[in-house]
Formats: sequence, structure tokens, C-alpha cells
Amino acid sequence: MTSHELDFAYKVRHALDEQLATLPAATTDSLAAARKLALSRKKKDSPLQVFVAERAIAGYVGDLFDKPLSWLGRFGLAVPVFVVAIGLVGIFQFEQQQRLSEIADIDAAVLSDELPLTAYVDHGFNAYLAKLVE
Amino acid sequence: MATDKELSDFLENVERRAFKQAAFAVRNEAAALDITQDAMIKLAEKYGDKSPSELPLLFQRILQNTIHDYFRREKVRNTWITLFSSMSTESDESGDFDLLETYEAQGDFHGSESSADKIERDQVLTIIEEELQKLTSRQREAFLMRYWEEMDVAETAAAMGCSEGSVKTHCSRATHALSLALKARGIQL
Repeated sequence: MTSHELDFAYKVRHALDEQLATLPAATTDSLAAARKLALSRKKKDSPLQVFVAERAIAGYVGDLFDKPLSWLGRFGLAVPVFVVAIGLVGIFQFEQQQRLSEIADIDAAVLSDELPLTAYVDHGFNAYLAKLVE
Repeated sequence: MATDKELSDFLENVERRAFKQAAFAVRNEAAALDITQDAMIKLAEKYGDKSPSELPLLFQRILQNTIHDYFRREKVRNTWITLFSSMSTESDESGDFDLLETYEAQGDFHGSESSADKIERDQVLTIIEEELQKLTSRQREAFLMRYWEEMDVAETAAAMGCSEGSVKTHCSRATHALSLALKARGIQL
């Protein structure tokens, strides 16, 4: 756009600004009323939201011991711990029973003279016993 | 984030120009007032929490969209009016027609503005407004946003939803058309 065109555009703008001053009072009053109505419906400021990184497990567990827990919170923590403890004891007992029964089988086989004494130290003896049972 | 005071000051600053922009587009004072009010309410309701620097562009977009919505509603309304008027009886069409009443209604908008119609300056200003109204809507939007609202090319393009090149073209054509029209009416700015 040339400077002449720009000059023309700004003269038009000046003329339009002059015309604004001649707006009827009724119109300016209506505009003021509309402005007040708009301001009364202004969107309220939204509360500030801050995102904080949090450790999913370690931080959570740490919090549990930092703060006093409600009875429901204590119960929720105690039940899983109790279940895990019972489970570990059960697994230990089961393994013990398995070991005892294996030793009993070997003892029985040795006493009935089906086996040489060296079978005691044979690590693959369990497989042999299993084949024998079949 | 604009405070109530900042939003109020902004609206007070733009409301008259917005009204004029709407009036140039729809050529109806009452409708222009409604459009300006709707635009101000929409800005406050939906973007009242924006920063003051964002308000001018947002308001122009809302204003232009509200003007376009008005034309869409008018188009639908005119379709129904045409439909029903074609179904009306012969006696309705031959009803009383008061030329003076129609003439007053059309002349009302400019009548108040050119009340001091004996003063040459007022006549010139009125003619400028008339010629602005005769521009195409896109040319007028671009011209007013660039030179009256003092928006830059990028902001005007964003508000109009077109490229920056189109804005420059619209502005250039608007200036040429306006200059020629005013010259034809014996006005040299």
C-alpha cells in the first residue's frame, strides 16, 4: 500500500472517529447499559491449578506413616499385610511337608533293600523314585 | 487475566466503534445495538478471564461472527416471510401502503446522525459512512479492523479467518473503491 493510500485510509479513520462523537444519547446510553450487563456476566477467575509430580508407591507409603490414619485406613493397610504373612507361612509349611515326604520315600526304599546306599547321594534320585512308582 | 476494571475500560473503548461496524454491516440501528450487546456479553461470559492484550482480537472475532449470525437468521426469516406472503390473500396485498411511514423508517438511521445537515462537514462525514456501507462486507471488515481498530495484518487475518495476503488485497481494494466513490461525489480527502 502506497503512502498516499495510507494517508487516505487514516483520513477516513479520522472522519469515522469524528462521527462517533455525534452518536445520539439514546444510543450511547444503550451501549453503556449493554456494557454493564456484559460486566455483570463476566466469567469468574478460574482457581489456580498447580500440577505436582508425585511418586506413585514410595511417596504414598511414606505419607501413610507420616500422617495419622483413620480406622478405615489402618484396616486397609493391615489386611493386605496379614494376608501376605499368612501366605508366606503357608508356602513355608507346604515346602517343609514336601521335603519330609521325599525323605520318607527314600528311607522306605532303602529299608526295603530296593536301593543301594549310594542312592542317598544321587541328586537324580527323585526322578528314579517317580519312575518306580509308575 | 483482565480485572473487572480492565474489561470495563476495554468495552467502553470499543463499544461505539463496534456499534458503528455492526451498523455499517446490517444498516439497522436497533439490530446493530443488539449485535454489539451480544458480542460484549459473549466476550465477558466466555473470555472474561483472558489477559487484556487478548481482548481486542477476541472481541473482533466475536463481533464479526455475531454479524454473520444475524445475516443467517435474517436469511431464514426472509425465507419464511416470502413463503407466507405468497400464501396470503389478495386483500392483504392490496392493503394500505403509507409511503411516508416507509420513508421515515428507512431514513431514521441517518437522520439522527445528519441532524446538522446544513453543515458541510457533517455531510462529508455522512457520505463517507454511506460509501463505507457500499463496500463488500469483506473489504469493509478488513479496512475497519486495520485502520480503525488499529489491528495488524496478522491479527486481522486471524479475526477474519483468511490469509494475510487476502487481508492486504481486501484493504487495498477497499481503499481504492472508497477513494473513487468519494471522488465521484466530489469529495477529496
